[in-house]
Parts: sequence; C-alpha cells; structure tokens
Amino acid sequence: MSDHLLIAVSIFTITYMLIMSEKIHRTVVALFGAVLMLVFSVEGQEEAVHHIDTNTIGLLIGMMIIVSILKRTGIFEYLAIRSAKIANGDPWKILMMLSIITAISSALLDNVTTILLIIPVTLVITEAMDINPLPFVITETIMSNVGGTATLIGDPPNIMIGSAVGLSFMDFVTNLAPIVVIIFIVNLIILKFIFKQSMHATESQKLSVMNMDESIAINDKNLLIKGGIVMAITVSGFMLHATLGYESATVALFGASLYMLISNLDPEDILLEIEWTTIFFFAALFILVGALEDVGVIEFLASKMVEFTKGDIGTSSVVILFGSSIASAFLDNIPFVATMIPLLQDFGIQTGQDITVLWWSLALGACLGGNGTLVGASANVIASGIVEKHGKKLSFMEYFKVGFPLMLVSVCIAYVYVVVRYL
Amino acid sequence: MRNKYINAEIMQQSMKLKQMGADVTVINSKLCYISFDLSGFKVSYVYNVNKKNRYFLERIKPYPLPLREFDSEDDVIEIIDIDLSQFKNAIKSHNIEEFINIARKLDSVFHKFEDLFLYYNLPEAEVKRLSDEILEFDRDIDRIKETSERICFDKEPEYLK
Repeated sequence: MSDHLLIAVSIFTITYMLIMSEKIHRTVVALFGAVLMLVFSVEGQEEAVHHIDTNTIGLLIGMMIIVSILKRTGIFEYLAIRSAKIANGDPWKILMMLSIITAISSALLDNVTTILLIIPVTLVITEAMDINPLPFVITETIMSNVGGTATLIGDPPNIMIGSAVGLSFMDFVTNLAPIVVIIFIVNLIILKFIFKQSMHATESQKLSVMNMDESIAINDKNLLIKGGIVMAITVSGFMLHATLGYESATVALFGASLYMLISNLDPEDILLEIEWTTIFFFAALFILVGALEDVGVIEFLASKMVEFTKGDIGTSSVVILFGSSIASAFLDNIPFVATMIPLLQDFGIQTGQDITVLWWSLALGACLGGNGTLVGASANVIASGIVEKHGKKLSFMEYFKVGFPLMLVSVCIAYVYVVVRYL
Repeated sequence: MRNKYINAEIMQQSMKLKQMGADVTVINSKLCYISFDLSGFKVSYVYNVNKKNRYFLERIKPYPLPLREFDSEDDVIEIIDIDLSQFKNAIKSHNIEEFINIARKLDSVFHKFEDLFLYYNLPEAEVKRLSDEILEFDRDIDRIKETSERICFDKEPEYLK
C-alpha cells in the first residue's frame, strides 16, 4: 500500500467511526477529517474543492431559504388546525390527515424540516385534546421518511444520487413516487392497527380542538401568497429542469432568491436559519469520499462488489436495497450514500452495464431504511428530541417495535417493485 | 441541533399564544449573562440585545430588580456600572446582610400580595389597612433617609427624592 492510500483509508475509517459514535459533532469530525486529507497531501486544495458537489449544496441551501421564509407565514399551524377540524376532532382522522400533509411536505421539503414544522403543531393539538402524542409523532416521523423517498428533493440521499448521476426530478417522481404511494398506504393501515387503542377521544376532547381558530394561525397572508407563487414556480422548475437544461440547484436557488427579493424580510434573519452545520458536513463528506476515489480505494471496493455479485444487476440491486436499508437503519445514511455513489459509478464502469436500477435500489434502501430505528434518520432523532422537550419520552425500543417491522415491510414492497418493474 | 429545538419550541409556544389571542412577534436576539464576584458577594445581571435596538436589563442577584428597557448598550453598561459601585459601597456596610434579607423579603411579600389580590376577594377594610401600612413603611424610609449619612454620589437616587 502506498503512503497516501494508507493515510486516506486511515483518516476515512477513523472519521467514519467517530461520526457513527456520535461522541463529537459529525460536522466537526468530518471537517477535521477532510482537512487532514489536505494536510497529509492526499489531495490538493483545488482538487478537494472540486470534489464538493455544488449542485447538492446549492439545492440544500436554496430549499432551506425557501422554508425559512415559508414557515414564518404560519401555514403549517393553519393546515394542522384545519385538518383537525375537518376530521371533527376524531384522532384517527386527524392522524391520517397529518400523515398526508407530512408525506407531501416531505416530498417537497427536507424530512428534518418537515418534522420541525409538523411535530410542534401536532403537539399543540394533542395537548389541547389531552391525548397521547406519541402515536402521532411516530407515524409522522415514519411518513416523513416515506414521503421524502418519492422525489429528488425529499431526502438528502436522493439529492446526492440525483446530482451525481444526473437523474432529474421527474425521473425520481416517475420511478419512486408510485411505490412510495403504495408503501404510504400499507404503512398507514398497519399503523392504524398498531395504534387503535390510542385513537379515542371524548366529545369534550373533540370540542377542544374544534374551538381552535385556524384563521389566526396565518401570520402574514401576503407572504403566504408570495410563498405559494414561489413554491409553484420552484416545483414547476424542478419538473422541467432537465428539459430546460438547468441543474436542480439553479431552480432551488432561483426560487430562494426570488422569495427573498419579494418578501421584504431582513436577509440576515433568513440566512441565519440555514443549517450551516449540515452544509459543511456535506462539503466535508464530499472531500473525504473524493480523496478515497483519488487513491483508488473506491475502484478497489467496486471490483470486490463485481466479484461478489458476479456483475449481476439483479443480485446487486437486492444486495444494495437490503444492505443499504439495514445500514441506514443504524448508521447515518448521508455518509453511507456519499460512499456508495462513486462505488456504484465504478461498478457501472467495470461491468459496462446500465445500472439505473441500482440507483433506485440505493435511494429506496437508504431512505426507507431510516425508519428502522430511532437513530436511523435525522428526522427521527429530531422528533424524539422535540417530544422529550415536551415532557414525553420516545424510547429507542418503543420506536423500534413499530419502526423496524414497518421498515422491513416497506423494503420488501420496494423489492417486489424493483423486481417487477426493472428486472 | 439546539437551534432546531429552540425553533420548534418557539413555534409551539407561538401557536398556543395565538390561540389565546396574542399577537406574537419573534425577534432574533442575544442574551448576555453578566456576573461579578465582589469578594464572595455575587452580583449578576441579564440583558437582551436585539436588532430593534432595544435593550432589556434585569438584575438577578443578590436580589431581583425588575426589567428595564434602554435605548443603547452604553446605557445598559452605565447602569450596571453605577449599580455595581453601589454594591461595592454597600458590602462595606455592616448592615449588608440585613439589607439583602429585607430586599428579598420585600420581593417575597410583593409576590404574596399579588397572589392575595389575584386569588381572593379582599374585604375593603383589609385593603385599606394594607395600603395604610405600606404608606407608613414608605414614610419610614423617607424619615430614615433624613437621618442617615449618604455614601453614594455617582448619580441621584431614582426613587428616593
């Protein structure tokens, strides 16, 4: 092994282990690891910057800006109260409506963002009704991961895959949305069965939510109308970006800058809410994985994968689908996918086959796998944190008992879909 | 991560407060916690700085002083400086412990009075009696002031004319 190879593998392995251990903030570890790659001359500074996928970074920043403005309108509070009232205070119907809102929002926004917007309003409603919030929180968390699987912008793994491989928003919608709808329905039916004991409310409990006023939830009607226009333009842009020849980040940044321009809000306040730790984490990961590519590790691993699967696309997609779902259930799926992308690209080069199905397998496995455990996805961790601050505890086992079987069911449905549609 | 939880909590509280009829405005700000150790005697303050250029200062130790609003950070620093120099003088006095105890008792009595007023319907005669006693206490302070030596000249007292 050459010195650079040994150093790169060591830095990457230690960084990866430290990220997984969660002893130190993942962004700090990833940044330090990335900088060590430069310090030990594994790669030059220019090469390192070149490895950063600006499309992924731009898309994330653009969507974060749009959400930062949109959430000031109070739209999520409005939708939650309106749903509860349409449901006449029936807990099961409220849960169903909030699940639909969560899944759709998650398909158009990041999962974590969706959870940060939907869980607080859910807690206010369940508190007003004096019912247990945990069935709602667990269901919404699961549905955010399911919904996020459907589109290019719904979950960071999809953003990375789409950007690296050049798959468009509509490619994701046409290939993943149909199966996501089925998985959503199946999960909802199972969850109804699991939580049927908690879905009862007395007339006075129902009345407490019926007395809430959704009209006062909207903070700024003007900003909401502008937000609706911006979202319509942005989503249309995503649908047409491949046809128009724009990168998805260009669409997101156009929507973001347009909303900033017409919102009359202080840009400092808006930009302050960008999750810079996430942005730096992505940038650092791209450098780390890029360094591994440069020293030939990824190529080596890809050749091992070709050897293991004998280059068979069917076997490979099953391994990737189930492997990535199990890995994502226990590990952070962002570094996992960041590593898998160049590995699969090399696999494609070495076998000389069309590997599109492998990308769908990776997206389905990595996104749905996050539902397996409480630490499987950032959205799950955030949901449990918010609930804990609210005085309730969502334990690892409590979530695992619901999330893991549902994840297995979802991945099995996805497997059947992949086999029937692509193999 | 902490910012995310704070934002989620603010969203929850705003929703509840709006349903109670409140008009909620959330402003980004910084909270500064300041503490001094005057030879074992702790004096501490909190003040809030926000982009609307309003400064909210509150003393929390050795006994709480109600919130006050200022136009500039310089005013906040000046008030802290004067307050601190008053305490530097005060701790030299042999009455300091008793003074702190009385101030804390006054604070506690005020809260008890508030509870009494908010939770009970008071007989008119009792209200009158309490008012008279407070007036008497107020006169006592003015009387004692006349017979005591002034030790702080940094600024004129705000309430004790």
